[in-house]
Amino acid sequence: MARVPLEITRRTLLKSGLAAGVAGAMATTAGATRSPAHADIRDDRWFDDGDVETTYNACDMCPWHCGVVVRTVNGVVRKIDGNPHDPKSRGKLCPRGQGGVSFMYDPDRLQAPMVRTGERGEGKFQEVDWEFALDLIADRLNTIKERSGPEAVAFFGHTAGDSWFAEHLPQAWGTPNAAKPSTSLCISPRDEASLMTFGFPVGGHEPLDWEQLECVALIGSHIGEDARNTVMQDFASLHGRGGTIISVDPRFSSAATKADHWLPIKPSTDTALLLAWLHVLITEELYDVEYVEEWAAGFSQLAAHVEDKTPEWASEITDLSPEQIRKTARAMGEHAPKSVIMPGRHVTWYGNDTQRMRAVMLVNAILGAYGREGGMYFNDTPFISDFPYPPYAIAGSAGGCAADPDDGDDDDDELGELAVGPTGKARADGAQDTFLQGPTAMQELIEPMITGDPYRIEALICYGVNLLHSVPLPERTKEALAELELFVAVDVLPQEHLAWADIILPEATYLERYDDLYTMSHRTPYIALREPAVEPAHDTKPGWWIAKELGERIGLEAFFGWEDIEEYLDDRLRSVGSNINDLRAQNGVIIQEGKPFLEDYEGASPFPTSSGKIELYSTFLEAQGLDPLPEYEPVEDPPEGYFRLLYGRHPVHTFAKTQNTPELYELFPENELWLNADAAADLGIDDGDYVTLTNQDGASDGPIKVKATQRIRRDAVFMAHGHGHTSPGLTNANGKGASDTKLMTRYNLDPICGAAGMRVNFVRLESSEA
Amino acid sequence: MRSIFLLDLTQCIGCEGCVIACKVGNELPEDVTYIEISEQVHGTFPNLSGGFANHRCYHCTDAACVNVCPTGALFQEDELTRVDSSLCSGCQYCVRACPYDVPVMVDGVATKCDGCRDVTKAGGTPWCVQTCPSDALRFGPRDEITAEAHQRASVMREKYPSAQVYGESQTGGLGLLVVAPEDPDELGLPADPQVPFISTVWQDIVKPGGFAITGFSIVAAGFAGIIARRNHMKELRELAEQGAAPSHDGHDDGEVQQ
Repeated sequence: MARVPLEITRRTLLKSGLAAGVAGAMATTAGATRSPAHADIRDDRWFDDGDVETTYNACDMCPWHCGVVVRTVNGVVRKIDGNPHDPKSRGKLCPRGQGGVSFMYDPDRLQAPMVRTGERGEGKFQEVDWEFALDLIADRLNTIKERSGPEAVAFFGHTAGDSWFAEHLPQAWGTPNAAKPSTSLCISPRDEASLMTFGFPVGGHEPLDWEQLECVALIGSHIGEDARNTVMQDFASLHGRGGTIISVDPRFSSAATKADHWLPIKPSTDTALLLAWLHVLITEELYDVEYVEEWAAGFSQLAAHVEDKTPEWASEITDLSPEQIRKTARAMGEHAPKSVIMPGRHVTWYGNDTQRMRAVMLVNAILGAYGREGGMYFNDTPFISDFPYPPYAIAGSAGGCAADPDDGDDDDDELGELAVGPTGKARADGAQDTFLQGPTAMQELIEPMITGDPYRIEALICYGVNLLHSVPLPERTKEALAELELFVAVDVLPQEHLAWADIILPEATYLERYDDLYTMSHRTPYIALREPAVEPAHDTKPGWWIAKELGERIGLEAFFGWEDIEEYLDDRLRSVGSNINDLRAQNGVIIQEGKPFLEDYEGASPFPTSSGKIELYSTFLEAQGLDPLPEYEPVEDPPEGYFRLLYGRHPVHTFAKTQNTPELYELFPENELWLNADAAADLGIDDGDYVTLTNQDGASDGPIKVKATQRIRRDAVFMAHGHGHTSPGLTNANGKGASDTKLMTRYNLDPICGAAGMRVNFVRLESSEA
Repeated sequence: MRSIFLLDLTQCIGCEGCVIACKVGNELPEDVTYIEISEQVHGTFPNLSGGFANHRCYHCTDAACVNVCPTGALFQEDELTRVDSSLCSGCQYCVRACPYDVPVMVDGVATKCDGCRDVTKAGGTPWCVQTCPSDALRFGPRDEITAEAHQRASVMREKYPSAQVYGESQTGGLGLLVVAPEDPDELGLPADPQVPFISTVWQDIVKPGGFAITGFSIVAAGFAGIIARRNHMKELRELAEQGAAPSHDGHDDGEVQQ
């Protein structure tokens, strides 16, 4: 059915004078029930209030950034829908995207810049004007730079706008200590494993060719609860045409309810299952022999490595039967190469995650999936020029999320040189010391704020990162924040960590601002527009404005050589023969062509490894004294009386960001603790009871409502991440549910990529009042 | 255009995108939704099956709500049941008569899904259908929806041997056909929804006669017995309690305190 934009349809809506007829029917009642007298029963819908204006945006309710069309009437945003022209949203939208209007009009939003007047953590602030706030920040930053060098300032950033705060500003300023939580607290193991195996990272949008895929295996990926719009659509499409779905999950997740095979694995043992899958695929010759011969190196070592990793061996470890393991391996092999293990996103679980993700990559490799129709396509980044600016003070992408010391033309198995700032300091997160490489590890920058080792991080600019709900060991984070010379928080809502800030800068939401263009790495690489639907509410400002005003006060004018954001965007768009108006006329997206499959490379290798082959056996890891092929390493089991704390998503919320959003809060106001129903009965706990959780180190949180269910194993409990807020400024979310992060008093550091494995905490339950 | 809904519960993954799209697009007040989604999982670990049930208006052809409405606030049009809340007298007969427990009272007047009347009349798609990322909702002519429902059920029988189409016969044919992965009864969809006899009496005899005042009392008396049988939502809740709680609280008494 054609979708008719509302502003057009309004004009076609008949406004006949049938009100009198309705009134007549009301008077007599008889005959009214099936009468056509209701042709125009309402004229008070939001789209009746005036002209419906449409603007284009990249949704910011999660970092997936679906293209949306925003409907505004009389200066009020009323409805957001998926942009049918956008490759990610395809006209659809998830619940959080639908809740964007509610997010923007949340009465709890920060309204003006503020300066702290009380003690750190006390939450006492004085509203000031922007001029005062920015001058104050600049003055302190300049002092720190002069005294200790620019490296002493850390920049944390997340979601839309982090390109200004976690990439452009820190690189121009000269600090390698810029970090995003989306790496070492989320995808680093996956992308480092892919880099070591295929020569490139997985990239933002897991490049599965879902349209032709026949079989998918999910290792903990809980699609549907993880409500990334595109992925839900793709998964539904596979399911709807009868494709094979394998869900490996200790929990009967939403995705598992759709699976042909649910493997309720013992948490932490996934690598054993993956090795046994490799064993079956190789010993039963279910892998793609020709593909492996042509494109892979190290197959014989791999085959020897998994020779004894039988399903029987894995069964003892994983709690799965040998039959289940064989059956699922055969299902995957049967559909190869249209058969893939989805790489997933949040994979920082146990500290040995890069090796587990290597095993995932090896399965996909021998299934012959990469570069094949129905397998995985090669992502491409769209072509577009940067706005011209001088060379950054710290080389390349070293300051940002993509920082990787192994980035250069590094043809051997040695580690690359770490980039250094203007006073010669490399990143303070322990790279090449406590772990090998990878993007800057946010959680490893906390300790240097306290200890000064290897040097003191004296200032932190924190853009949109909910520090106390994303970085484990939140008490350590509070201690670190108290030590800082300067802590600036840029945010939309009064999140907890803001109470420690010296200066708070309130940002306009995504619906009220332009941002840099979205350059999406995709099968069809594309460029998407974010433009404001309305003026910023209160005294809030867009991120680009804040970055530019701050940059100009700290000697970085040359990096902001544009008058306003529209000039900046038009300049960039000129390199692809477009401008903002054209982009708007093209429904907010410019779609380019990619080279998704092997045949697009005409025999040349698409794998930019030093051998030009898929490196099944990693000589790089071997040279670093690490396992060149993944080994299963047991991690500690929960002690008697404790459960392993698992966490994940609920579809109506994102991270710790949306719990206060009225429309979303209404649907899911507090998280629940999934507890096996039999275990609950043993503990005398009923469904709906409230409990307090205490972890192995005595940290506790709650109360949280128990969901006693058969849908989870007995040895683990599960909760949606991001609840348990304690900020009084969050009227809805404050005090609702429990925080998984508060119960993370330890993590296992991944020795390869520096990620924090967070599923190593255990909790016990005590009955509590609601 | 006359169109009906398809709801494919084999596809619904419970994300609640439809719930919020509906709420925002229809400007529903706090704590009111036209769609509720609850999990329906059966079995014991690790032998589990199930998915998600939806609770929403099924747009009956022989619609009890329309039949009992004394003011014409509920009416039928283009194969769907509509609401003109401005005509509602607040009698709550529809709330009590509906075999699916759908209409709710908001600020003293009845409301329910009207199939996004204003949007669809202008050529648009209902908000829930437009947003659904799981390909679980469609809106189209009855013959096309019926064919698609059977097509989907037949593909899904491979995964769900009991997959079937629900709604072709109930209440004279629903304006929302369901592709159910299992026995519809398990999903809170009664095989034979009871349309109260008294509502037919009201529709065909009392109302045309114009004995409005008498009719009110007759109907009120007749409802006592009917309500006792109209308990599928209660069963649904019980099921949910056995397995697991619904994804959010249902409207227990069909009435919303503002």
